[in-house]
Formats: sequence, structure tokens, C-alpha cells
Amino acid sequence: MRKNNRIQTTGVYALLILVALVSIFPFLWMVSSSFKSDSNVFSATPSLFSDMLFRKDMFRNYQVVLKEFQFSRYILNSLFVSLSCAIGQVLVCSLAGFAFAKMKFRGKNFVFSFLLMTMMIPVQVTIIPEYFLMMSFGWIDSFLPLIVPSFLAGAFGTFMYKEFFEVVPQPLFDAGIIDGVGAFGMFSRIYFPLTASPTVTLFIIAFMNAWNGLLRPMLYISTDKLQTVTLALTAFQSQYDTQWNLLLAGSVISILPLLILFVFCQRYIIESAMGSGVKG
Amino acid sequence: MRRRKLCWHGPLTPWLFLLPTVIGLLVFRAIPVGAAFYLGFTRWSLLNNPVFIGLRNYKEAFASATFFKVVTNTVVFSLIYVVGVMVVSLAFALLINRKLKGINFFRAALYLPVITSAVAVGIVWNWILGPQYGILNIILTKLGITPPYWLGDPRLALLSVSVVQVWKMAGYYMILFLAGLQNMPHEVLEAATVDGAKPFQKFFHVTLPLLSPTTFFVLTVAIIDSFHNFELIYTMTKGGPQNATDTLVYDVYLNGFVNYRNGYASAVAFVLLIFVGVLTLMNFYIKKKWVTQG
Repeated sequence: MRKNNRIQTTGVYALLILVALVSIFPFLWMVSSSFKSDSNVFSATPSLFSDMLFRKDMFRNYQVVLKEFQFSRYILNSLFVSLSCAIGQVLVCSLAGFAFAKMKFRGKNFVFSFLLMTMMIPVQVTIIPEYFLMMSFGWIDSFLPLIVPSFLAGAFGTFMYKEFFEVVPQPLFDAGIIDGVGAFGMFSRIYFPLTASPTVTLFIIAFMNAWNGLLRPMLYISTDKLQTVTLALTAFQSQYDTQWNLLLAGSVISILPLLILFVFCQRYIIESAMGSGVKG
Repeated sequence: MRRRKLCWHGPLTPWLFLLPTVIGLLVFRAIPVGAAFYLGFTRWSLLNNPVFIGLRNYKEAFASATFFKVVTNTVVFSLIYVVGVMVVSLAFALLINRKLKGINFFRAALYLPVITSAVAVGIVWNWILGPQYGILNIILTKLGITPPYWLGDPRLALLSVSVVQVWKMAGYYMILFLAGLQNMPHEVLEAATVDGAKPFQKFFHVTLPLLSPTTFFVLTVAIIDSFHNFELIYTMTKGGPQNATDTLVYDVYLNGFVNYRNGYASAVAFVLLIFVGVLTLMNFYIKKKWVTQG
């Protein structure tokens, strides 16, 4: 019996290592190639070993991309846009979630179902009127079209906060009523301080979505200085298709902030994905 | 009077809390959807005023071979994606649903592609699938197989892009399935083991039925998600070769912002909306037939 278990465990590990490799291999290869010189990238016998690794100029690709191709600037732009979106979503969704969870008013179900329905609509359905709208606001070629729409209506976040607020123990609410706390005080002093876990989750998801978005930056940003990382990367790809070592260094730079976020908040990210599954 | 006392907040307070959300819903959701519906009946190129032309955009779309191709591509992409991502992610979930040393590392490793931008994913896979220097084709050549041109061959491009999308997203659904598996009552599985059920039987007769609420949720999300393929298609193929990877979401972009035919693009956008709507309704309708509880 025991021997059987051991064989089984070994088999499971072998399978795990195999699928993990399939999953990580493109990243490994991207990172390793970002430390290769141009000629080494296209050698007839590709190897994971980078010829520039551990040499004096090993970061040359990165230096070129960050300085000459201004990726440091694009990183800052993306950081600004993503942080604004994430903070906005946390503010707006927590307020709305609180109203849906704890208040009674006419039209509540209607507004809530409409909000959930919009989750299913791909952005492409509304992008043409939206573009026209942004044009009439005079917002083209600014960060506003990238920030404002995601700032204002976040169905996922609102849903998550609503579910969270609904299960906060009733005595807390009663205590607030007895102390005569107003509606906003109830939210900001009693309920919101409890939200660490949904807030971190939503912050990460909103940040990730904004960081990885491509369609809106593509349509709204034309000034080079305002480009976001993903946009710069696609432009870089079509212009310098042959300089793969630089392109891959750029790709690594573009995922680095999310990678760092992921390493530190892994537990939250995976738990939140699981949480939304449990609801079914 | 009594009713008012029961309510702990003023009548307008909820709307104050909802103000940003309601503005957002109206300005960036409701009005644009309505506008897209109207603009589908116009000829419009953003610079001029829209001219009402009735059903002509729709007639043109349904008569054109390109549009037929686009719809077919969308269906094929969604099918490969939904089926592929569900099978792969369930297999992953079953594999990582155990207490082993370092299991968290493997979960994280499989989840990694999910957080990566589709642009970076597209760039790396472009390179892996490259015709001459792509590592996949170099390996195939070494094995004595004539390597295909994955993204340049119209018969293979759509398949390649959908498989990459499956690769990118499987980790997400894996975590959803994992949650479902961990919430499953242990007693039932143990009872089945005691009764002498083989692993295969246990999976099909116990695990799968018990998992059906999760499977339904995953299916719903995957269907919605199957339309989110713009970034990857833009990065990998730009809709080509010969429209082989041009899907509805990509076609809206092509017509609206490359060909500047915004009336026609709005009609395409509306077809897309109907697609999403019908699929979701169908999904909820068939839910009754196979979901055991919940």
C-alpha cells in the first residue's frame, strides 16, 4: 500500500513538473533571450543559455530599451493610469456595494441587474460611441479616456463589496445606529475599515486590467510621450520586428511590475478568483 | 410615519452613494449601447454626421463572404477556447487538488500566464511559433517533421491563436474548479471508495455531478471571456492571413478605426452584442437540464 502511494506521488510530481514547465517555459525563454545579443537570439541551435549573462554588459538590452526607447517613461504613464483606475474602482465600488447591501430604495434591483448585465458586454460593443463621446469631451490624447470609464462603473467590484458587506455581523450595524452615526459615517468609520481583503483584491484586479489594456490606449493616445507600456510594446513590435532581444527585454519590463505584485499578493489573487467561483 | 422610522437613512442617501456608478452606467454603458444600435442604421465616418440608411449595413454584412468568415471565425474561436479551457483547467485542478509539498508553487506557476498581458504573451508566442527561428519549428525539424507556418497559414492561424489563448487562461479556470473541488463533501467520495468505485467511475459518477454548479459558472464565464480576444489577435496576427483570425470583436475595430466605417462597425458591434446575449440566455436555459443543485 505504502509503496503504491509513493509511486503515485512520484507520478503526480512528474506530471506537475511537466505542466508547470509548459506554463513557465515561454517566460523562461523570454527572460533568457532578453539577455542575449542579437546574433545569439537567432542561433540555429537555440539554447536557454544567454551569451550576455554574467558579463559586464548583461543589462545592455534593458538599458537600451529603458533609455533609448523611453520605456521608463511608459512605465510611469502606465503606473499613473493603473493606480488611478484601481483607487477609483475601490472608492466607487465600495460606496455602491454598501448602498446595494445595506440600504432600501426603489429601483435597487433594476440598477443592480443592469450593472451585472454590463459585465457581459465586451468593450468593443460600445467603443465607437464611446470614442465619439471622448472626442466631444475633448479628451482624445489624454489619460482621461483610459481612467474615467473604469473609474466610474465597476460591476465586479460592486458585486464583491455587496456580498462582503451583507455578511458583516449585525451588532456592528446596530451599535452604529444607537450611536447615531449617519449613513456616510456608517460606511467610512464602521464598514469600510473592515474591507482589507476585498479592497486588496479589487485593487489588484483593477490595476492588472488597466495595466494590461490595449484597445483604449491604442485608440485614444497618439502622442508618443503619453503611451502606456502595452501600447509602446505593440508599436515597438511592428517597428523593430527583427530586434527580438530588445523586444523581449521590453516585454519583461512590461510584466515586471505585475510579477512583483503577484509574488507579494499571490494569496489574495488566487483566493479572490476562488471566492468568485464559490458563489456559483 | 412608521415606515420612515424603519429606514435608517434618508430617501436620497442611496443615490448619493450610487452617484458615480449611475453616471458611469449611463454615460459609458447605457447610452453607448443605445447609440451603437442607432448608428448601425447609418453611414458614418466620425468626421461627417451620421446619415440614416436603414438596414443597409446589416444587408451588406449578411451578404458578404468576409462577414460570414468573421462569424465563422468567432464561433470556431469560442468553441475551441471554451472546450479547451474547460477540459485543460479541470485536468489542472484535479492535478493540484492535493496536499503535497510545494503545491503552492505549482498553483502559482500555472496561474502565471493569467496575470501576464496578452501583448507580452502574444509577442513571446509569435516568436515561439515563428516560421524559421521559432523554437517549435526548430524542434519539429529535428524530429524530421516538416514544420508548418503556424500563423501564416490560413488553415492553422485561428487554431494557433485560440490554443495560445487557452494556454493563457487555463490557470484562471483551474482556480475556480479548485474552489469547487475543495468545497465538495468528502463523505460522498469516501463512501464511493468504500463501495469499491474505481477512480474513473468516481470521477464520472460522483465528482463531475457534484461539481456541476461550478462547471456551470465556469462555462458562463468562459463564454463571456471567449470574446475577449482582441489583444492577442492584434499582437499575433492582426486578423490575417486572409481574414483567417478576424473575429467579431476584432472586426469592430477594423471597420471602425482602420477603415473608418463607423456605421457598419456599429452594426457589427450589435451583432456581437446579440451573440453574447443569445449565448448567455441559452446557457441559463440549459442550466436547468444538467446542474444538479444550486
